[in-house]
Amino acid sequence: MTNASSVLKHPLLARTFVELADTLVDDFDVVDLLSLLSERCVEILGVSSAGLLLTSAEGELRVMASSSEAMRAVELFELQSQEGPCFDCVCSGKQITNSDLATAQELWPRFAREALNAGFHSVLALPMSLRGSVVGALNLFSDQVGLMDEQDVVVAQSLADIATIAIFQQRAASESQVINTNLNIALNSRVTIEQAKGILSERLVIDMAEAFSHLRGYARSHNLLLVNVAQTIIDGTLEIHR
Amino acid sequence: MTNKRMLRILTELNSAGDESSRSRSLCLVCSKIVVVTGAGIMIMTDDKQRGSICSSNSVSALIEDLQYTLGEGPCIDAYRDDQPVTEADLQGNGFARWPGFAPAVLSAGVRAVFGFPMRVGGIRLGAMNLYRDRIGPLSDDQHADALVMAGVAARVFLGMSAKELEDNSDLRLNVHQAAGMVSVQLAISVGDALIRLRAYAFANSRPLDNLANDVVSGAIRFENLGYN
Repeated sequence: MTNASSVLKHPLLARTFVELADTLVDDFDVVDLLSLLSERCVEILGVSSAGLLLTSAEGELRVMASSSEAMRAVELFELQSQEGPCFDCVCSGKQITNSDLATAQELWPRFAREALNAGFHSVLALPMSLRGSVVGALNLFSDQVGLMDEQDVVVAQSLADIATIAIFQQRAASESQVINTNLNIALNSRVTIEQAKGILSERLVIDMAEAFSHLRGYARSHNLLLVNVAQTIIDGTLEIHR
Repeated sequence: MTNKRMLRILTELNSAGDESSRSRSLCLVCSKIVVVTGAGIMIMTDDKQRGSICSSNSVSALIEDLQYTLGEGPCIDAYRDDQPVTEADLQGNGFARWPGFAPAVLSAGVRAVFGFPMRVGGIRLGAMNLYRDRIGPLSDDQHADALVMAGVAARVFLGMSAKELEDNSDLRLNVHQAAGMVSVQLAISVGDALIRLRAYAFANSRPLDNLANDVVSGAIRFENLGYN
């Protein structure tokens, strides 16, 4: 997938780990952090698109974060609740890789078609595991045919592991009830942010990606959690202007 | 990839019929799915209890009434803290937590109570309460069932039918973006906007996520539809 060695990219990788470690100490926003992680995957690993999906208690695979908020990118993650590398990855608990999506039409008819249409040619899905159970997957797309460098796969897996820690560290995640509750809260916060994006996009006449960066910018400059900003917009107690 | 937990709920909802949304049967489903003595659902807005939409038996009805009157109890805490509330031994620990509520329901035979917040994203609807006539925590399995059930109950309250729940089309992110947009177009709450979207999709035989795409792209604007 990528020619540059991950060693060359280590400065950014190290900085990402430090940043994440810093974030994890304080109260932080799960969607904000996971979005940052997806964006960094693209920069560090040289892939075209990255996304994080979590399994809900209903058994559905749902999108938590994406390196791009463009509808097309998000849809490719969403449709994997039915078929695709993330679906297979979560079912098997193993890394799923496909180096040439043109050969995957039989394996994943709808997913392969949509991914090729979007300009992607290879894909990798890495499991997010917690105490023996798979809670989600990190999904990486490349516009090139080919396998990802082995060292990069190791880096990607460690980023997936960090994402898992981020979601479950808030409380001592020792029991299944706490794990399920946290998953539920995380997935709900993603939906909350989407509703607030809709409100902002309509009010300010901007697209969804702009609405997301607007929300994020406001949260950061006011030192608030993204989900709390989104909630106050939905409750009608906060208005954000351009 | 709907799992067994969700399938059980859908089967129960289907056999409960169309009226399940605002009748006792939704609470009967809750109580049956989690295997507790009784269940109730309390709707709240702006930190005020607005009333019960259903209860599976007379003790559950009492639990709801008392919370409404006293302003304390598992639903109130679950809604306020946005977290599941468990009180596995009402007599042992519940009195300090809810000095008015706990003794009153204890004398009606309640020994353990649980509250689960009901929300769809930022639409906060209220909470589901469950009670048992014996002391003890929920098992991990029951807790997971209760979480899923509270989510389903919230979606049913926003007008989703069992068929729509099965399709999960309301879980697509664009549906919630569209709900946010429609809430501004019609100057209504996001919850009401979701109900409008769903009603429009149903009336026009369109999948909800497909309609949502048109709303997000601007092809359909609800203030132009002439029925607000």
